[in-house]
Amino acid sequence: MYDLLTGPLLWLVFIVTFVGLIVRVVMYIRGLNWKLDRVAYRPHLGHGLKHAARSIVFFLIPFGTHSWRSRPLFTILFFAFHIGLLVTPIFLEAHNVMLEKSLGIRLPGLPAGVADMLAWTVVVGGLFMVLRRIAFSDVRILTTAYDYILIVISVAPFATGLIARYELGNYDFWLIAHILTGEIWLLALPFTKLSHVVLFFMSRMQLGMDYGIKRGGMKGTSMSW
Amino acid sequence: MPEGTLCNKQPINTDEQLKLVLNDKGGKQYYAEMEQLDVDTEKLWNTIQKTMKSRLKTWLEICAHCGLCSESCFLYQVNGRKPEQVPSYKIQSTLGEIVKKKGQVSNEFMRHCMDVAWSWCTCCNRCGQFCPHGIDMGVMFSYLRGLLYSQGFVPWELKIGSGMHRVYRAQMDVTTEDWVETCEWMAEENEEEWPGLEIPVDKEGADIMYTCNAREPKHYPEDLAEAAILFHVAGENWTVPSEGWEQTSLSMFAGDWECCKDNVENVYAAIERLKPKRAIGTECGHAHRATVIEGPYWVGREDGQPPVPFMHYVEWLLEALETGKIKIDPAKRIKEPVTLQDSCNYVRNQGLKNVTRKIIEYIVEPGYFREMAPNKEYNYCCGGGGGFNGIGKYRPQRNVALLKKLQQIQDTGAKLVIAPCHNCWDAIRDLEEEYEIGIRWSFLKPLVINMMIVPDHLKPEE
Amino acid sequence: MSKKILLATTGSPASFGAARVAFQMAKRYGSEIIVFHVIGLPTKAYSQIVHDVRTGDEVQVDDDYKSWVEDELRNTYARQIEEAEGGVSFVLTTGVPHREILRTARSEDVDLIIMGASSGSIDHIDYKGYTGSTLQKVAKAAKCPVMTVHRESAAYRGGFNHVLFCTDFSKQANHAFKYALNTARECDCDMTMFHALDVGGKVLAQNEIEDRLIEARKRMRSLYGSQMGDFKNYDVEAWEGIPYMEIVKLARERMADLIVMAHHAGESDSDEARLGSTLEQVILRASCPVVSVNKPDKV
Repeated sequence: MYDLLTGPLLWLVFIVTFVGLIVRVVMYIRGLNWKLDRVAYRPHLGHGLKHAARSIVFFLIPFGTHSWRSRPLFTILFFAFHIGLLVTPIFLEAHNVMLEKSLGIRLPGLPAGVADMLAWTVVVGGLFMVLRRIAFSDVRILTTAYDYILIVISVAPFATGLIARYELGNYDFWLIAHILTGEIWLLALPFTKLSHVVLFFMSRMQLGMDYGIKRGGMKGTSMSW
Repeated sequence: MPEGTLCNKQPINTDEQLKLVLNDKGGKQYYAEMEQLDVDTEKLWNTIQKTMKSRLKTWLEICAHCGLCSESCFLYQVNGRKPEQVPSYKIQSTLGEIVKKKGQVSNEFMRHCMDVAWSWCTCCNRCGQFCPHGIDMGVMFSYLRGLLYSQGFVPWELKIGSGMHRVYRAQMDVTTEDWVETCEWMAEENEEEWPGLEIPVDKEGADIMYTCNAREPKHYPEDLAEAAILFHVAGENWTVPSEGWEQTSLSMFAGDWECCKDNVENVYAAIERLKPKRAIGTECGHAHRATVIEGPYWVGREDGQPPVPFMHYVEWLLEALETGKIKIDPAKRIKEPVTLQDSCNYVRNQGLKNVTRKIIEYIVEPGYFREMAPNKEYNYCCGGGGGFNGIGKYRPQRNVALLKKLQQIQDTGAKLVIAPCHNCWDAIRDLEEEYEIGIRWSFLKPLVINMMIVPDHLKPEE
Repeated sequence: MSKKILLATTGSPASFGAARVAFQMAKRYGSEIIVFHVIGLPTKAYSQIVHDVRTGDEVQVDDDYKSWVEDELRNTYARQIEEAEGGVSFVLTTGVPHREILRTARSEDVDLIIMGASSGSIDHIDYKGYTGSTLQKVAKAAKCPVMTVHRESAAYRGGFNHVLFCTDFSKQANHAFKYALNTARECDCDMTMFHALDVGGKVLAQNEIEDRLIEARKRMRSLYGSQMGDFKNYDVEAWEGIPYMEIVKLARERMADLIVMAHHAGESDSDEARLGSTLEQVILRASCPVVSVNKPDKV
C-alpha cells in the first residue's frame, strides 16, 4: 500500500497536477483578448510586464499593499497560513529523504521544530479561516460548502502528518492517511479553486498590465495595486 | 408580452422612438413593460460564450470568498455593512448565477440584476485594488451591464441616454447647428471683455482640438466660454470640431457597446479630419475614460491609444501653468480650507492623481488645502458615478450613496470642493441639496479665470 | 420705444410688477411681448426630471406639462394679454434661468428684457454653484437693456414722464445715456442727468468736493449735452453722498418713473461687488423701474 502510494501513484499525481496547472496557465494566456479585455498587451509588452511584476511582488509582500495594510490581522493569518502551506511540504526533512531515495537530489531541510511550528500554523490558520467565515457576516454570505471542503482538503495533510509525527494512534494508518490526503490536495490544485496557486499570478499579472498599460502606468504613475 | 413598445431589446435609433420613450413619465410604462419582457436565454448564453474570456471566467472561478473587498466598497459601508453589499457577493449572485445557469434565468432575476448593476455598483473599480487575486468587480459589472442592456433590462434614463447618442450623437438633443451657434454666441457674449476672443470651429491643423460634454452647450455654455478664455489667454492655437465635439458616453454607463464605438469613432473622425496636433477634453471624468482610455479599444486601435495624444483638461491646465502660459496672481489664490475630489475615471483609471495636486499648489495659498482620506487612487466614488446620478428609479439609493462623500468632505473641514469632473460636480451639488452641509463646489476653469493675471494686451481698452 | 420685449417671469407674485410694466408698455407703445418662463431647472445630471420653479416639486417636463403651465400663465395675465396691442407669444423651456433668458433674447433678437429682481433666491441650491444672481448674469451679458421691477409699487401706472439717468462717466454709462435719451425723446418726457460723487468711506475737504462737483457738471454738459440735438427737456445735477442713496432720493424727489444706469461687466464676479453694487442697491430700493445698460447694440 505504502509503496504503491509513494511510487507509481505519486508519480501519476505529480504528472496530472503539473500538467493540469500548466494547461490552466496556457489556457489563461490564450484566452486573453486585447479587444475584449481592453488592454493592448502586445504593443506595450515592456510596460505591461514591468507593472505586472510590480503588482505581483507587492502583493507577495506582507503589508506591501494598501489592501494588506487595511486588514492587518487577516494579513498575518493569511501569510502565515500560506507560508506554512507551501514551505512545509517542500522543505520537510522526511519528504527530502524520499526525494533523495528516488531521484538522488535533496533540498535543504527544515529543522524539526520549525517544521512542526509551520504545520501547526497551517492547522490553526485553517481553523481560524473557518471561524472567520462563520463569525463575520460579510465573509459568511460569500462562503459555500465548497469553501469549507477546500479548507479541509488543504489542511488535512498537515493534520494527518502531525498526528503521524506525534505517533498518536496507529502510525501506519495515519501515515497512509497523510499520503492520501496529500495526493488529494495535489490533485485538487488544477481542478478546483486551488488553481489560484498559478492563476493568482496570471490574474495579478493581467491586472498589473491593465493598470500598467491603460490605467496610469504609461502616464508615469505607479500604483501599488 | 415578449417585447414592449418602450421597453424592448432594440436600441433607440430614431427620433420618434426617442420621443416616445421620453414622453413616458418617469419611465412608468417602460418599467411596467419590463416586467413582461422575455429573456432570450439562448442569445444570452451565446453572447457569454463568445465574449466571456479567460479573465472574467477565472475571476468568477477563483474568487476565494475572503471578503477583503467588503470594506473597499463605499456602498457596503454606507448601507449599514449589509452583507449583500459585499462586492464579491454582488457579482457572484448576479453575473455568477447567470453563468452558472448557462443563461437560463427569469425575467425577475434579470430585473434584480439590473437593480444591482446600476444601484449597488458605480463601477468605480476601487474593489479591484483590494482583491489579492486582482479581481476587478467594476470591470465585471460593466460587462454585466452590457449583457443586461442587450436584453433590454436597463434603467429608463440610460436607455434614453444611449438613444440620444445614437440619434443626436450627443447625450442631449444638441444638434450640430445648436453647437456651432452656441460657439458663436459665447464668443460674441465675451468678446467685449476679452477682445479678440474666438471659438474657431473646424480649423484644420490647429495645435489643439477641444471636445466637451453636451451638457455644457445645452445648459452651461459658460463652461465653453471659460475654456475659450483660458485658451485665448494662454495663446493657444485651438479649434472645436463641428461634428465629433461631444466626448461623453452615457452608452458606456448603459452598456451599449455598439453605441460607445460610434461615439468614439465620431470624435476620432474629427481628429482625422482636422488633424490637430493633440486633443483636449473638458473637466469630465467618464468622457475622458470613454474617449481616451477605453475608446481606442472599442474602435479596435491595437495600440490602445487615440489617434493623437488626448489629454484631460487638468493635464493641459497644469502644462499651461508650468510653462507660464497662464500665470496666477498670488494675491488672488484661494485662502479658505479647500479640498479636492479625485474622479475615479481619470485618477484611479488613468493615474492623474498628481496632476490635480500640482494645480492646487498654484491656485491655493499654502496651508489651506485639505486632502480627503482616503485620497488619490484610493478615493471613494463621489456617490453618483457610473450613471447613478441620472437614474430617477434609484434616487433613494443614490442619496444614501452620497453619505460617504459627505463624511469625507466634512472630515476635511473644507467649505469649498474642487471637482474637475461633471459627475462628481453633480453629486456634490446634489449632496448639498439633500443634506445642506454648507459647502460650495467648483470646476477649475472659473477658479483659474478669477485668479489669473491677464496680460495687458488682452485687456479691453478703456 | 422697444418693439420687442422679453418678459421673464416666474409666474409668481414676485414678478407681477415686471409683468405689469411690460404689458403697459405693450398697450401704450404697441410693443410685442414674449412671455418667457423657465419651467424647470435641470438638476439631475442627464436625468429627465426637473425642479418646478414655483413649487419646487420634481416633475418631468413633456408637452402636456408645458401646455398646462402655458395655460396657467395665460390665465394669470388674461386681461393684460387681451389689451396688448403688439401680440403676445409664449416661450417655455427648461434650463438655468439666466442662460435661457439670454438664449431666447438672442434668438428672438429682443430690444428689452424685463424681469423681476427677486425671481429665485441666490441662496437656493440651483444657483449656488455659480456666483451672482440671475438678474446680474442677464444684465451683464445681455445685448439689450434690461429693465428690472423689484417692488410691485415700482410698476408705473402710465407712460414714462421723467427719466433719471445716472452716470459714472464710464463707457457703459455712455450706452446707458443713449438709451435714456432715446426713451425720453420717444416718450416725450423730462430727463435728469445725475452724477453722485461717492464719498463713502473717505474724508474729503469740502473744497475738493465742490471742485469735483463743478467738474462733474461740466463733464456731463460737454459729454452728453453735445449729443442732445434738439432735445431740450433736461437738466443736470451732481452732489455728494453714497451713490445709491442719492440716486433713490433724487428719483423720489423728481418723481422719476424710470431710472437708467450702466451695468459694469467686471463688477458681477465677486461676492462683494454683488452686495455692494450701486445698481443692485438702486434696484432693491427704487420705487420705479430701473433699466441697466451694458452694451451699445440695442439702445
